[in-house]
Amino acid sequence: MNQTAPNPQQGTASGFQLEFADASFFAQLSGALYWQEHKTLLVADLHLEKMSSFAKSRQFLPPYDTGATIKRLAQDIANTGAERVISLGDSFHRDEGTTTLSVQDADALSALTSKTEWIWIAGNHDPSEHELGGTCCESVALDGLTLSHEPNAEILHQVAGHLHPAAHVRINGRSIRRACFVSDKNRLIMPAYGVSTGSLNILNPAFEPVINRREMSIAVLGKDQIYPVAKRHLIGR
Amino acid sequence: MFAHAWGLPDVVRDWFVDRGWAPRQHQLDMLEADKRGKSALLIAPTGAGKTLAGFLPSIADLAEQPFDGMHTLYISPLKALAVDVARNLMDPISEMGLSIKVETRTGDTPSSRRQRQRFHPPNILMTTPEQLALMLSHKEAPKLFGTLKRVVLDELHALALSKRGDLLALGLARMGTLCPDLKISALSATVAKPEMLRDWIGTPKPEREVAFVTNTGGADPEVEILASDDRVPWAGHTAQYAVPELLEIIKKNGTTLLFVNTRSQAELLFQSLWELNEDGLAIALHHGSLDVEQRRKVEAAMVAGKLQAVVCTSTLDLGIDWGDVDLVVQIGAPKGSSRLLQRIGRSNHRLDEPSRALLVPANRFEVLECEAAKEAVKERAQDSEDPQDGGLDVLAQHVLGMACSAPFNAVELYEEVIRAWPYRELEWEQFERVVDFVATGGYALKAYERFARLRKTEDDTWRIVHPKIAQQYRMNVGTIVEEPMLKVRLVRARGQRRGATTGPIGRGGRVLGEIEEYFISQLSHGDTFIFGGEIVAFEAMKDNEAYVSRAVAKNPKIPSYMGGKFPLSTYLAERVRKSLATPTLWQQLPNQVSDWLRLQRDFSTLPGTDSLLVETFPKADKYFMVCYPFEGRLAHQTLGMLLTKRLERDRAKPLGFVASEYALAIWCATDIGAQFKRGRLSLDELLDEDMLGDDLENWLDESSLMRRTFRNCAIISGLIERRYPGQEKSGRQITMSSDLIYNVLYEHEPDHILVQATRRDASRGLLDIERLGACLKRIRRHIIHRDLERISPLAVPVMLEIGKVPIFGEGRESVLAEAAEDLLREASGN
Repeated sequence: MNQTAPNPQQGTASGFQLEFADASFFAQLSGALYWQEHKTLLVADLHLEKMSSFAKSRQFLPPYDTGATIKRLAQDIANTGAERVISLGDSFHRDEGTTTLSVQDADALSALTSKTEWIWIAGNHDPSEHELGGTCCESVALDGLTLSHEPNAEILHQVAGHLHPAAHVRINGRSIRRACFVSDKNRLIMPAYGVSTGSLNILNPAFEPVINRREMSIAVLGKDQIYPVAKRHLIGR
Repeated sequence: MFAHAWGLPDVVRDWFVDRGWAPRQHQLDMLEADKRGKSALLIAPTGAGKTLAGFLPSIADLAEQPFDGMHTLYISPLKALAVDVARNLMDPISEMGLSIKVETRTGDTPSSRRQRQRFHPPNILMTTPEQLALMLSHKEAPKLFGTLKRVVLDELHALALSKRGDLLALGLARMGTLCPDLKISALSATVAKPEMLRDWIGTPKPEREVAFVTNTGGADPEVEILASDDRVPWAGHTAQYAVPELLEIIKKNGTTLLFVNTRSQAELLFQSLWELNEDGLAIALHHGSLDVEQRRKVEAAMVAGKLQAVVCTSTLDLGIDWGDVDLVVQIGAPKGSSRLLQRIGRSNHRLDEPSRALLVPANRFEVLECEAAKEAVKERAQDSEDPQDGGLDVLAQHVLGMACSAPFNAVELYEEVIRAWPYRELEWEQFERVVDFVATGGYALKAYERFARLRKTEDDTWRIVHPKIAQQYRMNVGTIVEEPMLKVRLVRARGQRRGATTGPIGRGGRVLGEIEEYFISQLSHGDTFIFGGEIVAFEAMKDNEAYVSRAVAKNPKIPSYMGGKFPLSTYLAERVRKSLATPTLWQQLPNQVSDWLRLQRDFSTLPGTDSLLVETFPKADKYFMVCYPFEGRLAHQTLGMLLTKRLERDRAKPLGFVASEYALAIWCATDIGAQFKRGRLSLDELLDEDMLGDDLENWLDESSLMRRTFRNCAIISGLIERRYPGQEKSGRQITMSSDLIYNVLYEHEPDHILVQATRRDASRGLLDIERLGACLKRIRRHIIHRDLERISPLAVPVMLEIGKVPIFGEGRESVLAEAAEDLLREASGN
């Protein structure tokens, strides 16, 4: 694993090198994975239109998350030069989210989907198909890997999202909690990409059936860098 | 004084005469003020018959003519106090044979009775600020409050400058509109700026004069400082050294209250008292995290006189009379003279006998602070707290409440709101933004118009769009926001430890109390801490409860409860600086302390009253810089955070810092003393006031303090709903984390009114920026630098804090870097 400095100008791939099941990815600080071999950007759990989904019950949360997540995507596409984007489910916080986009956000999104090959994998939050450009499907098989929303112990060599992994790291009495990539031999679970997404500690029992703790490796999203972390420094639940 | 001169109705006068009593002067003054149509502020110490003074005008009025409807509304900061005062008032009323109806209304009052009170109120109603807000939000409010003659505010000093005070002030402003005859009386302990409280109760009814009534009488309290035979330690806050002496003192006295400043100190002290309590003295523990049942038991035992001592925190600062307390012991420095006076007042509620108090300093600096506090008590000098503008989050809550009671015209409501003292300078534009926030979230991006809570109608009034909104409001009323808490349940241990069972942990153990979720999230299985007077080990989380087992650990991790750490008051700090700088005052100090100061004078120098001493010295491959601003831990932390940023930029390689109440120590990898001497770094520039500009802004961007503060503002303002116990189970992802909301809001609309409200609270409460600003101004060009060969005597206490308190605040990115390096070392086989 090593780190190369990001270089936004040239669009050449860079990031934290993450190996999984014979494939090699560049992990981005945003939580995306760039698969250079296939010029494909993987993202999971965008949860677009999350803040606005609370408005129905008259809680007016700042309506800026969708725009910010789309902007983040545009930057990652530009930085990596990706020609294909695969969104691993829960792209929208609710099915209706696909219809509540503001004009600006809808325009910004279609500017991306029209330029890039786009695949929307269905998630538990957004199971239905929609017409926002690109293809909707249940899962994708690519180069020996299965890309799907929910981690599934039955599937070998799977990349998934759904659980929003985060590591709570403690060393010398100080601690910090950040989103992370977590993987074992069979599965790689991506952090949630959307700016309004929460997270779940990877020591939570929800990870037990799908990640083998003994072989677990962890890459934590820092502010300027991604850090590999040993599991003995993990705390929490 | 002749009975006929009292100006009381016959039944009331006879009641006094029958008992051989006479009303006290301040009680008659209150009566006189009321008769002349004035509001009144009564300032008197505990035990002066304040409550009767507050109600005498109402009783006199009601005795003269029967009254239909609510005559007097009494508001107390504590519901227990409201209930207690009601009980104490009903006795004389029935003895006088008067048919005055007195009732209480608190969160514990059954809803059927609360419902009835809205339509058939008693003559005198005892309640809290939150209940007042609720009553004002009902559409019957004008009728209910229309008859009201008097409001009596109890313990106003404890309310006025808080968010609850903001809410109360807004309620008073509304009552000023609803009640044509309203007179406002307030009862307060002695405060530094009584004029401010007078204005506070005067603004809602500007046409009414406010009379000043004072009773400064009473015997002077007797305050002593424990002269221990043992050495007073250099550092620490637990006063362990004094435990054997404390047990002797408890044995010699009747009921003793032992006040400490934090819950963790309470736990520790309780634990160590019992370790040596060979005589089995009845010593109990009382703090806010303990189970309510547990606390009630302690209170009942105390009233019944069954306890010899109670170790307690600020939960017993205020409020009802817990029976005869003979001695108050303050463990650790009192931090402020007003709080100390209040606590001393808990002993002996009879005015003519002196209250007795003992101060137990926990370290050498605290000896100085205790001396300063003792002097302050002698002079009855009070700390003064500067008021700040009313919170916009509280205003948002109030605006919604007003809309729930009736449609409002914005201009009219604004005119009313600025008659609440904390909002007297509120600008119309700010008010408009608050209304916009309540209606649709107040965002520059208008996304929520179709979901609006309030709509403006053709008659230019704002009204709620649905009755459900009033229900939502009522669930959310109030300004007290609890930290997310977890129940702590005792279970049998599992795992390998001796006596432990294996297999899954069972249910059914007893609940010990509640603890901050934040604290538990830092623990792993097997970590130990003291809770409820026992050492326990963390076992697991289950269904939002923390399971713990009994443990035998020698050195438990101690709960670092968030609440209950008071910063040193500006007033006491000034006195401490003065006594340090004046060697003639050292005679009254214990020898070990005055020797220590002499050593410091000979080795380095002493901090002056208006200058700042900065010492630099090498120690163990590092270079230290220690300064002594005496501005309290919060201000020092903020200073430490900002100074390390500056030193980083100047490439002095700072490695960490630690802040105490009195001093700040920063350590660097480069010889910082030499750099000051050579002029490569300038102390004047480093400590320039401009650090509170951009540097502060940049740091605030990252600081989790802002996020923590935001949660409170978001809940109070109604942006997010309160979570109640049991509600959480609805699912992990359904409730939105307030941190995420803050991040998105701060990034995209940094001048949103909730960000403003958050900043206001954080700079006051957690950062103490105003105080730091005043300090930097004071010491400008008065910085004295001493480059030393080794650590100075004065630096020892703060240096001992290193390793005991978290460095650099909470975890930052460096934690991840360290963990990553650790992994690399492991991978390369080192």
